[in-house]
Amino acid sequence: MGPLMQGVLTIFVGVFGCVAYYYFSNLFLDRVLYPARGDDAGRNINRANAVRPWLFLFPALFALSLYLVYPVVGSFWRSLFDRSGDAFVGFQNYRSLGADPEFRSAVVNNFLWVLVVPAASTFLGLIVAQLTDQLKWGGVAKSLIFMPMAISFVGASLIWKFVYANDPNIGLLNAIRGAFGAPSLDPLQLPFWNNFFLMVILIWIQTGFAMVILSAALRGIPEETVEAAILDGANPFQIFFKIQVPQIMGTIVVVWTTITILVLKVFDIVYTMTGGNFGTQILPSYMMEYMFRDDGRATAVAFVIMILVLPVMIWNIRQARKELR
Amino acid sequence: MKKVLFAGVAASAMVSGSAYAQHLMFKPGEGDFHWDSYQAFADANDLSGQTVTITGPWTGNEKERVEAVFDYFEAATGATVEYSGSDSFEQDIVISAEAGSAPNIAVFPQPGLAADMAKRGLLTPLPEGTAAWVKDNFAAGQSWVDLGTYADKDGNDQLFGMFYRADLKSLVWYVPEAFEEAGYEIPKSMEELKALTEQIVADGGTPWCIGLGSGAATGWPATDWVEDLMLRTQPASVYDQWVKNEIPFNDPAVIGAINEFGWFAKGEGFADGGPEGVASTDFRDSPTGLFALPPKCYMHRQASFIPAFFPEGTKVGEDVDFFYFPSYADKDLGNPVLGAGTLFAITKPSDATNVLLDFMKLPIAHEAWMAQGGFLTAHAGVNTALYNTDSERAMGEILQGATTFRFDGSDLMPGEIGAGAFWTGMVDYTTGKSAEDVTAAIQARWNEIK
Amino acid sequence: MEHIAGHKPALTWIVRICVTILVVLWLIPTVGLLVSSFRDRDDISASPWWQAPFPAEQTFATRIAGDAVQQADGYLLTGDIHDLPEANGAGRITAFGVSRSAPTGIAAGDTTDLPKGGTLTVHPDGSFEMLTPEAPDAKGQRLYFAAEVPPEFTTANYESVLYANGMAQAFINTFTVTIPATIIPILIAAFAAYALAWMEFPGRGLIIAGIVGLLVVPLQLALVPLLRLHNDIGIGQSFVGIWLAHTGFGLPLAIYLLRNYMAGLPKDIIEGAKVDGATDFQIFTRIILPLSFPALASFAIFQFLWTWNDLLVAKVFLPSDSESWVMTRKIADDLLGSRGGDWGILATAAFVSIAVPIAVFFLMQRYLVRGLLAGSVK
Repeated sequence: MGPLMQGVLTIFVGVFGCVAYYYFSNLFLDRVLYPARGDDAGRNINRANAVRPWLFLFPALFALSLYLVYPVVGSFWRSLFDRSGDAFVGFQNYRSLGADPEFRSAVVNNFLWVLVVPAASTFLGLIVAQLTDQLKWGGVAKSLIFMPMAISFVGASLIWKFVYANDPNIGLLNAIRGAFGAPSLDPLQLPFWNNFFLMVILIWIQTGFAMVILSAALRGIPEETVEAAILDGANPFQIFFKIQVPQIMGTIVVVWTTITILVLKVFDIVYTMTGGNFGTQILPSYMMEYMFRDDGRATAVAFVIMILVLPVMIWNIRQARKELR
Repeated sequence: MKKVLFAGVAASAMVSGSAYAQHLMFKPGEGDFHWDSYQAFADANDLSGQTVTITGPWTGNEKERVEAVFDYFEAATGATVEYSGSDSFEQDIVISAEAGSAPNIAVFPQPGLAADMAKRGLLTPLPEGTAAWVKDNFAAGQSWVDLGTYADKDGNDQLFGMFYRADLKSLVWYVPEAFEEAGYEIPKSMEELKALTEQIVADGGTPWCIGLGSGAATGWPATDWVEDLMLRTQPASVYDQWVKNEIPFNDPAVIGAINEFGWFAKGEGFADGGPEGVASTDFRDSPTGLFALPPKCYMHRQASFIPAFFPEGTKVGEDVDFFYFPSYADKDLGNPVLGAGTLFAITKPSDATNVLLDFMKLPIAHEAWMAQGGFLTAHAGVNTALYNTDSERAMGEILQGATTFRFDGSDLMPGEIGAGAFWTGMVDYTTGKSAEDVTAAIQARWNEIK
Repeated sequence: MEHIAGHKPALTWIVRICVTILVVLWLIPTVGLLVSSFRDRDDISASPWWQAPFPAEQTFATRIAGDAVQQADGYLLTGDIHDLPEANGAGRITAFGVSRSAPTGIAAGDTTDLPKGGTLTVHPDGSFEMLTPEAPDAKGQRLYFAAEVPPEFTTANYESVLYANGMAQAFINTFTVTIPATIIPILIAAFAAYALAWMEFPGRGLIIAGIVGLLVVPLQLALVPLLRLHNDIGIGQSFVGIWLAHTGFGLPLAIYLLRNYMAGLPKDIIEGAKVDGATDFQIFTRIILPLSFPALASFAIFQFLWTWNDLLVAKVFLPSDSESWVMTRKIADDLLGSRGGDWGILATAAFVSIAVPIAVFFLMQRYLVRGLLAGSVK
């Protein structure tokens, strides 16, 4: 029972510690450091307001820099060294990546993933979120669509093995083909198309994510706007695409971004289903092949992935700017 | 709680009251175990209150078995052994060693990673005299010493690993009854094996079940095939050169061995499911074809661990049996044996750790697992009568009687090759690429990491 | 939003049909997993899961042995197949054979010649007559037959997962990891998100961009440096360490999602409150937090999911002794066994570990409603 008590205690200490930090630091700022009274009242309020954001941000920034920025900087440094980490090799790791045909095919495949998976998951998630809201059993339907999110990747791979397996006695797809008299084939060995069969797995998982977030956003739309459109005689499609979707555009961008980034991170599906064989390699699984073996090269791949995210970052900054205006 | 004071072989009535002794799987003094040396060890060492931490690849019931072995160490010395097993051992040990929270001993499932960590300075050389001991006490001792010797951080060769458990790879599994009914004889040479393969096809059957699938490690079973065939088409010295890349990977000798594998895996009707099936079938599912009615195949080449994946209740030696993957009669290369093994290496030195390694040298440390089953050893001083089954004894004898013993080559190559390019290369070869293209690509990868 | 479709019954039906199709498509693979979790390893690889509920035809191998009665034309051995060894579960016999390569070559009821001379007849009900010129030996005559087998399900997988030694401890450990690792990042992220959404200060855009960038950092990069750090500052491998790690890894997404949601809240409420003299702290606790409940709840669901299903972080940041194993580790390193071949256990483990997150989802779904927000918009 040790860890249990410890857990309860930490939840208590951690949660109340956090709350106490925010409350008392805020109090300290307003009452002690820059009190909003006396001669400097006006100036003090401005000063306090300049400091306050950093008060709110501090714990987050501290945790982020310790747990993510610091390893990232360290990793970048590591990517400039050879596989044992002793000799400085400059950008040699990056150059040898460029020369590796497997890496190049991983980049191409990854572009396919980035184009297809976020689009498909977001679209399906949006449709499901909208449609299930109109049904009595929508809650149940949502839970069922959400279920794949809760399955571990290993479990998911097993599930899809039962769909894709070459043997019509195990694989659903080949059993259906067999019922139509077609010979069985291995979907994961079909050049080019096998990538899409793997993407289906991630779409299957991520639609639940998109659905939950978008459903919350759809419910946040003021009813008045929708009611006004109904009074104007708009049909349901117009209401959905012209009234509701534009209002949650910001959230759609967020969901899209999150899934795009996930696509650049999730190695498990390719790793466990094909091991990157049959021309299905993608960058994260390519990185995992080197991780803990040739860390110089693995970290170099990680930075290539981060560079690929730049456009997404820029897009998001512009989106954020638009909101602020 | 110091040592169990059992009074030698004669007295089976041991000192009761020792909490440890109750747990021992085989009572000290009973059975044909080497109790004398164990008693001497127990008398010489007292480590009360000390702890040895060990990480290894054994999980599930293998974990239970190895812990039963460590029980004897605990009983003898009063020390505590904390063993934790992990399915992703290779990854875990690198993380913990680099972060400075490594256990005392790591049990490596293959030497490649150990060599890599030794080079990075993450391993401590074994105590002096261990090399000489291994050489004298293991069958084909020098080769086991060589397999455990790696360059340290400064490039000096030192003994870092002591082998504890061996796997035998050159085995072909078959169902005796299926052979009997069809009138097939166990082939004594590679020529006969090939003739039998063709015979089965002519009779309307499928000779082989081959499965390369293994998730992220897909392709490894094919590397075992190639290594076995390499040893059967080339002298062992060429094999050694190949493993060390002293001959290029796309040397005609290697291409020849790969095409020999292709003869089995890609021949029309030779393997269940054709080349596509070979590439996608999981190696764990593959042997079940032997037991299908009617049989999906008649033979399956796989290492000594594979019975774990046979259908429940299958009796080795009765329902299924194995024969030695034969060598060519017309090539004078002896009877080479391909194997693999796990090795103990020190990741955080301590006195108790050294004592534990001394314990692992005792016959009892091997016999205690032999008697539980699923264990082969190259230790020449053990009582082979203690093997759990006749077939394990037969395998143990193949291992100890090998004229040429060679370790799984892909385990000896650098990780990027032996656990990467070689695997994927073999999948590419199976699904259509030529051996020349595949080996050239592997060699290119090897050049990069030199 | 029932009013969108509410007026047109035809549309309602289309919606219902669409949702049903989607749900079924989404469910099929999971049903496969569920069915498989009730089958043992050999059955899983022997027949497809969608045929599991139906009686299947299975081929058996057995031997006919026993005392034969001497007759004028040889030795007659009669009996019932169902009494022979290894014929458990066999129903009606459909076909039989005496060679492994053609185990079901002869229809039940017919008679076949035996390879060593003699004849054998097997009837659908299982009775057989074997007539041989010489007395059958002790080993007996090989007989293969196909018979209908009723569907077989087992709860053995669940028993071995749920009643495994130490499973209760692992279950508690998992909760000990997940609850703080869910609450702490949400709290920290909520404050940061508010600052980034509603407070003016220099460098705000840069920080937002930085957080989006950090979303993509692969976890694996951070493991070794962080574990080393934890070892250096004395946290080592402990529950505190894993809470901090999960907090760090979960923050970027938490801040990103929450900031976006908060930025979308109606401006006039917040400005109105400011005019009324509310401080930022008051606005945050009294207006923003209650309004952001759907976003907080949805992030809570995801963070809970990830920490619940996580194996890698738990392996690195928790001690390796079995006392502090979480469920994922218990399953991966203990139950699945070497080389992870037992698919029945794997399927069961996936289902057992799904149960709690689904319950959390149901629980949290109540908070994903819009009532909290809609009422406040004027």
